[in-house]
Amino acid sequence: MGIISALGMWGVVVFPIENYLKEAAQQAADIDWLFRFMAFFSVPILVYVNGFIIYFVIRYRTRPSDSIQATGSPIHDHSALETWWTIIPAALMLALGLLSYKVLPEYYGAQAAAVTMEAIGHKWDFEFRYPGLAQSVYNDLYLPIDVPVTMDITSSEAQADDAVIHSFWVPEFRIKQDMVPGMVVPIHFTPNRLGTYRIICTEFCGIGHSRMWGSVHVVSQADFNTWFATQQKQSANGGPKVNVASGDAGAGQALFQQKCSVCHNAAPFDQRKVGPGLADLFDDPQHPALVDGKKADPADVAEILEKGYTGSMGSMPNMQANGISSTDIANLVAYLKTLHK
Amino acid sequence: MAVVEVSHATSEHIHPPPETFVQKYVFSFDHKVIAVQYFITTGLFFVLAGLLAELMRAQLAGPNNHVLSVTMYNQAYSVHGSAMVWLVIIPVLTGAFGNLIMPLQIGARDVAFPWLNMFSFWLFPPAGILLFGSFLLGAPEAGWTEYPPISLQEPAGTSMWCAAIFLVGVSSTITGLNFLVTIIKMRAPGMTWTRMPLFVWATAVTAFLSFIATANLSAALLALFIERTFNVPYYDPSRGGSPVVWQHVFWFYSHPAVYIMVLPAFGIISEIIPTFARRPIFGYKAIAYSSTAIGLMSFMVWAHHMFTSGLAQWVQLPFMILTMAIAVPTGVKIFSWVATLWAGKIRLASPLLFVLGFLSTFTFGGITGIFLASVPADIHEHATYFVVAHLHYVLFGGSIFGIFAGLYYWWPKMTGRMLDERLAKLHFWTMFVSFNATFLPMHWIGLFGMPRRVATYDPVYGGTNLFISISAFVLGASMLIFAYNALRSAKHGELAGPNPWGARTLEWMIPSPPPYYNFDRIPIVLAAPYDYGQPLPYRDVAPEYLAAVPRF
Repeated sequence: MGIISALGMWGVVVFPIENYLKEAAQQAADIDWLFRFMAFFSVPILVYVNGFIIYFVIRYRTRPSDSIQATGSPIHDHSALETWWTIIPAALMLALGLLSYKVLPEYYGAQAAAVTMEAIGHKWDFEFRYPGLAQSVYNDLYLPIDVPVTMDITSSEAQADDAVIHSFWVPEFRIKQDMVPGMVVPIHFTPNRLGTYRIICTEFCGIGHSRMWGSVHVVSQADFNTWFATQQKQSANGGPKVNVASGDAGAGQALFQQKCSVCHNAAPFDQRKVGPGLADLFDDPQHPALVDGKKADPADVAEILEKGYTGSMGSMPNMQANGISSTDIANLVAYLKTLHK
Repeated sequence: MAVVEVSHATSEHIHPPPETFVQKYVFSFDHKVIAVQYFITTGLFFVLAGLLAELMRAQLAGPNNHVLSVTMYNQAYSVHGSAMVWLVIIPVLTGAFGNLIMPLQIGARDVAFPWLNMFSFWLFPPAGILLFGSFLLGAPEAGWTEYPPISLQEPAGTSMWCAAIFLVGVSSTITGLNFLVTIIKMRAPGMTWTRMPLFVWATAVTAFLSFIATANLSAALLALFIERTFNVPYYDPSRGGSPVVWQHVFWFYSHPAVYIMVLPAFGIISEIIPTFARRPIFGYKAIAYSSTAIGLMSFMVWAHHMFTSGLAQWVQLPFMILTMAIAVPTGVKIFSWVATLWAGKIRLASPLLFVLGFLSTFTFGGITGIFLASVPADIHEHATYFVVAHLHYVLFGGSIFGIFAGLYYWWPKMTGRMLDERLAKLHFWTMFVSFNATFLPMHWIGLFGMPRRVATYDPVYGGTNLFISISAFVLGASMLIFAYNALRSAKHGELAGPNPWGARTLEWMIPSPPPYYNFDRIPIVLAAPYDYGQPLPYRDVAPEYLAAVPRF
């Protein structure tokens, strides 16, 4: 059992976590170290508990030569043994508590952050707000390498049915924070490895939860500056213009299946999912006039797709949140026109 | 200790047995009949909730599967979790095992309040109908924890869920009170606290937890129901409520509930090991007092479920330390059980096999619990498949293995017939292997980035998930072996006799199945029950039961 334990403990020490899950933020290495510490001491406990079970069952089994009356040792307890198996686990727990306490402040303790930004959970998008950028960025977070970040985490409250708990998880950073409506929780981290990593929602937030994913791009300071400048320019121009006449209905249909069908049926108005059914959008009098008080036309629909909607019918994210381009909008409008009576 | 001398005259007050079918089998006051009623209803719910799990695994067998719609999938895992916790594990351990065994082990003729016992059972079938019926109105989708605000936005089925769990909670509170009074007031003469069987100790602590903790859940559920129905904003943040309040109150119940679900299994383990090792339990007092310590500490750790909810750091620390501290009494128990095997005369019959399976899997689940207690590590692991794996190692590897150990052990007492040993062993090995094959890989995919409660996932986890799903189907199929064995025993099972395992607690000192009113004369207890090799420490037990020699 000693040998198996030693092999297992050696395995824990040399296991290449990096090959399976990159350590891409400063505290990731500390947390992995803590994980290794726990796994290191778990190995002998598991080996000895299971090993003794197997050994005792074989060594002390009833043999055919034993009388049916045979009983085992009458010993009830052994105070030295019991003291040790209370003290050793207690000492290990104390050590683990102290080590955890040492790692913990990196999440919460104040740091001299170079970037303080906001992350806001929506159904089912991550919105990021940078200082100095008028528009929000959706689902694709860009961060410069080796710059400490303080991120204020919360959830949308604009609309009662949009306000749910999400959770912001970047496995490669080993950070996670629930996005709770009505609460703003700052977390601190420093990305320290170039690359693109996953952002995953881990708190159930409705029908779109399974695919509430984003990406964080850790880039060099120069690349970050270029990206940031492009974003600023875009927001100054009000974004690229949509040409609704040039859409491709086939591409729109594919996109509708992929994105819109989570919330909308290609069926009459009253067949709601999260939002209303969108067939006969341009004819059916049940569809309310949402933009200019008149019956919907392609420009109105494109405007809602572009800017999102919040009102009596619920709320729909804007084009950045939905991750669609102005070409996509044109294609979607073209597809919706084919659902015409 | 001096034997307490009592006159039997006052305790010979026996009602005539019921005669009509309804009195005997439907609205029975007899704790043994009520226990069987619990076994049958929880067994039915176990099958339904298990089928939901198999449906979930069918959906998750591949990425982007369409076996279930996303909504159906969300409903399936929510009802699976709620049913397994509240309609299966808690009632089978307290209502079924507690009712069947505890009064017999303390030498009582019934529980303190038989009518309440009957009433408490009859809250269960309506709760089950409400919970499974919620599929008709749109079942809850936010998991068994039903965190608001999302649970406020769900269709009417969630209100049915509230009502169902509320009923179960009332039942659990009543049963807790009933068992506490029974254990405190109705032990046979001479049965001091330190002569009580360890299953009774475990049931006493469990009853205390059910009685004290469940009311918190009822309050939280009532508030959720009122908010959903009458729009009083307890939890909705957009109108001044706080969703975190639900989390606190929910876990203030649901962490003790974890121990409600596992302490009786600890009790079962403590009964079975000495019987099959043919020697006294190692560290009786350590096991009894550690149950009590675990019970009390379970009220002080609830916020470890909320380390990513935005608690202040100074709040997280004490919860982390106390959670780690619970590992110490739990370790004491595990080491004491293993030490009981030392220098025994071990008979590897099916109940002991399930106990050994329990020890192996529960130790693993306990250790991953420590991984989750450490706040910085938990922040990474929380709400991933690592938690799903940990939870199933504790509730399946712990509670369900303990439940099957108890079923194989007490089946002869309950029915008077033996189960087939070869089928039992086949059941154990298929269940043990497929259980580990199902839940062990979940730790891995959780750590490397798969969140829980998702109907689809990144295709990189496809292979592992397919393996998990296949294992889960085998795990489900292994239950059929038990079902066949149980049905088979009714006709072909060997007659058990009063004490087939040669055990020494009081339930084995009467015929199997026990007669109406259990004991002809209430026995007098002279010592603790586990001294194998010594004469049995009872007076007023019929001489034919006083051998305690195993038939196997």
